[in-house]
Amino acid sequence: MKVTLFVRFALVALVALVALVGGACTGDLPEPFDLDHTRIVAVQATPPGILSGETSTLVSLLATEGATTHEAPPEEAIVVSPLSLASALAPDGSSVTAPDEAALAAARTELGLMPTEPVPLRVAVSYNGRALVATKIVILGEARSNPSIDSATINGMRLADLSAITIDAAAETRLAVDATTLDAPSWLSSVGTVHDYDQPTAYITVDTKDLIDGEFALVYRDAKTGVTWRVWPIHADGTPRKPQ
Amino acid sequence: MLGARPLLSFAPVIRSLRRVVTASLVLGTSVAIAQPQPAPEQPAPAPGPALEILVRGHVIDAFGKPIKGATVTVEGGTSTAKTDRDGFFKLTAAVGATLLVDEPRYDNGLATVTGDVLDDIVMLTTSQTTETIEVTGEGPAEAPGAAKLDRQELQRIPGTGGDVVRALTIMPGVVNLQLPLGYNGVVIRGSSPQDSKIFIDDFEVPVLFHNIGFRAIVPAESIASLDYIPGGFDVAYGRASSGIVNLTTRAGSDKRTEQAEVSFIDGGVIAQGPLGKATTYLLALRRSTIDFILPAIIPSSVDLSLTTVPRYWDEQLRIDHKLNEHWGLSLSNVGTDDIFELVASKNDSAKDKRFFNRTRFARLTAAARYRNGEYAANLALSGLLQEFTFEIGRYQFIKAKVAQITPRVEFTRSLKHWAGLADVVWRLGGESQTSRNGIKIALPIEPREGEPQPAVDPMDTSTRFDGHVVSPDLAAWTAVSANLDPKIRGTLGVRAEAFLRPGQALLQPRADLAWKLVNHWTARVSGGAFSRPPEYQSELLSETAQAERSKQAIGGLQFEPKDGIRVQGSVYYTDRTQLITHEPDNSLGNNGRGTTKGAELLGTYRGGPWFAWLSYSYSHSTRVDHPGDVRRLFTFDQPHSMNAALSWKHGNWQLGGRFQLYSGLPYTPPTGAVYDSDRDLYIPIFGPPNSRRAPLHHQLDLRVDHTWHGALEITGFIDVQNVYMNDSTVTYFYSYDYSKRAAFKSIPIIPSIGIRGVL
Repeated sequence: MKVTLFVRFALVALVALVALVGGACTGDLPEPFDLDHTRIVAVQATPPGILSGETSTLVSLLATEGATTHEAPPEEAIVVSPLSLASALAPDGSSVTAPDEAALAAARTELGLMPTEPVPLRVAVSYNGRALVATKIVILGEARSNPSIDSATINGMRLADLSAITIDAAAETRLAVDATTLDAPSWLSSVGTVHDYDQPTAYITVDTKDLIDGEFALVYRDAKTGVTWRVWPIHADGTPRKPQ
Repeated sequence: MLGARPLLSFAPVIRSLRRVVTASLVLGTSVAIAQPQPAPEQPAPAPGPALEILVRGHVIDAFGKPIKGATVTVEGGTSTAKTDRDGFFKLTAAVGATLLVDEPRYDNGLATVTGDVLDDIVMLTTSQTTETIEVTGEGPAEAPGAAKLDRQELQRIPGTGGDVVRALTIMPGVVNLQLPLGYNGVVIRGSSPQDSKIFIDDFEVPVLFHNIGFRAIVPAESIASLDYIPGGFDVAYGRASSGIVNLTTRAGSDKRTEQAEVSFIDGGVIAQGPLGKATTYLLALRRSTIDFILPAIIPSSVDLSLTTVPRYWDEQLRIDHKLNEHWGLSLSNVGTDDIFELVASKNDSAKDKRFFNRTRFARLTAAARYRNGEYAANLALSGLLQEFTFEIGRYQFIKAKVAQITPRVEFTRSLKHWAGLADVVWRLGGESQTSRNGIKIALPIEPREGEPQPAVDPMDTSTRFDGHVVSPDLAAWTAVSANLDPKIRGTLGVRAEAFLRPGQALLQPRADLAWKLVNHWTARVSGGAFSRPPEYQSELLSETAQAERSKQAIGGLQFEPKDGIRVQGSVYYTDRTQLITHEPDNSLGNNGRGTTKGAELLGTYRGGPWFAWLSYSYSHSTRVDHPGDVRRLFTFDQPHSMNAALSWKHGNWQLGGRFQLYSGLPYTPPTGAVYDSDRDLYIPIFGPPNSRRAPLHHQLDLRVDHTWHGALEITGFIDVQNVYMNDSTVTYFYSYDYSKRAAFKSIPIIPSIGIRGVL
């Protein structure tokens, strides 16, 4: 058996990293943890799974470069699949109502699902005149709820108890949340660098080129399409480290 | 009637016509040689009493430095002389007499008196004698556009760090990659790495590069020569639809030597010598050293844990035994072992950020060669054990264990005349290659040629398999070469190939015609059919993929005005069919077609202290993935590639420079992306495949070698790539949301420093 460049492509990661260290790469690309960048941070359906006749509300967390984040219902929304459930989406795109069992059964047939399986309704939402587009799955035929982030801590303090965050710019700020291997927490900030931003434990460092005031967010996804977020104002106090 | 001699009553011969016609000279004996060699047609000394004349000669070392105080005597005579401070001597000797030159630091030198002024007599140390394996490849090329480099030339090319495979990039038609990262092969004439094959001693090796250091798995010190055949290759080779590269390993010397070499990338030892009267050995072992340096050069600010620092080993063993005047036996082994493990986090327990790779293989080949007058044979049995493990994150991996056995035979019969033809060589051969591939795989769907890399989804394991695949392939070939006329030599052959797993049998006729036009000019045309089986990863798992095929037509002209100078040009056209493509249901089909056309020019000069090389190639390589699709460029289409290299030896110094200029490669630009909120992943939307091209790249490389002679001969070298630090763009990489891009630039300057000692 011979291995193609696709598999070996991942080996490039190491070498590219070395090359990066050696200065082979240039450019200033936005980091995935950076909240100071225009994008859809997450789309939430509340609740993420509904039974026939129930309604789920769609709202997105939007980040804007040079401004604060905000939540907004979709400017536009359409059903991507299954097309037979296009009418489940409200005309203004802000909510989904699960149809009756007969319609769900037809959708299962369309998607090739077993008779007892829930139906994933994939909705596309857009903002900024369709410049930002995202998809979100709402589960029909099974009740689900969004996860909790009560266990999240910053330097050992419960984040849920804080209304604003102040960190020491000269030190590492430790972040932690209880998560299973299937859950996906994301630590986001417009202040400093978030190391391991997609891990249950992460930390923030601040250097002299970073903003010292901005926003900090935790977005927590579970394996059942549930998502929860919370945003805090953040300030870095003290003397930042010099860039390395 | 000559035709009555049945060709079928063949007996074993050497298996490759190339090796018959390539002038080669093994210098393992402790003599120095006079330069240049007397031409074979030089008149013999007149019979009868010899006329003694005053002879003037000049004795120098390998670097052209005069040797003072050497004693020159006439064999069987009394006349003797000593060389002066400039290496000159005078004595009286008969025309045709042999002169013996003696100097304690060197092996004995020999020269024949051909007139009153002799050519320079070059004296070599033992190590120099044993290093010279083959007279520079000026034998007839195998096909238009083919070329050959020996070890010493490979080591003289600046910018390669003395590495065999990096030296390949000076060949016309080889796609030049600034950073050959992750490509397990060489790309010839704009196709794919999978379309060309690399052989070591005629057997394919599964891995060409070490994973780090961009080093070939065989050090240049372990090879004798490199044959590059970009197309129209012989029927004895198969399983490739573009070109081939064959590395011939170096047989051990009959003088015992040991040498060691170390650089910032790796270090190794080579030992060789005799084992009794008829046996020689060569043993080479090399280990990376870059792994000792790497942790120190990675800044602490980078989120990285090198849990196993990247390292590699490789080894070669070759034992040659001359059984009698007809039979020669050899046993050779090539092996390599690469490993690394890293976590893209300072937290080394972050399993979803873990990468692990281990690649190792060992190939053992036993061969017997027979030659007896008109008959010759080559019998070989080669076994391969290979292990490849790659794990990425928590869920994605590929684990492959391969055991392969390849018996191979070729018989040759040579006849001076047959059926009105002259110098007839008939070959008949066959091989079977059977592999048992144990595979465990959980990976995303592999992109095919030209398909852009999809978004990295660590949960995607769309391709799953746990089992084994047996792939038996058979091949048989025959070819006849003959002089149709004193100036025209033709070869006509056919290769029959059966790929049993996809259930395919192919007949591939090939032909070559060389025509000596006038003095120094030779025209050559080649053509034929070629194929490569579906054997790469998902191809091997596919029940539907068949072999890719090509038809090649090549024409060339070669001009050799004198020894050491050659200019060759060629034009080619390749029609590719049955290219493996993805079907709408993600299965594999053979719906692609493609063409490659181009021209190549190569000029070489080898004379005295100079070695010069100029190559240029133009290539245009396009394909259509499905009937009705838009024609697009191959991913490795490189229209222009130029290499100019110059190397000069004087005394203990060797200086060299190389200038490269070549087109950037095509790429597919993303035009936007849709955010998948549930997977926290951006799905890119791509523009037309390979519709943009990275900019032209040029760079200058320099190399300096210096040798210190003594009880231990030490050579140090500095090889600097891209000395004027041209950091042109190799390609682009994109932000996680594809909203911005940045240039991936070539590394501005790469110095390589090393030292080699020979005992």
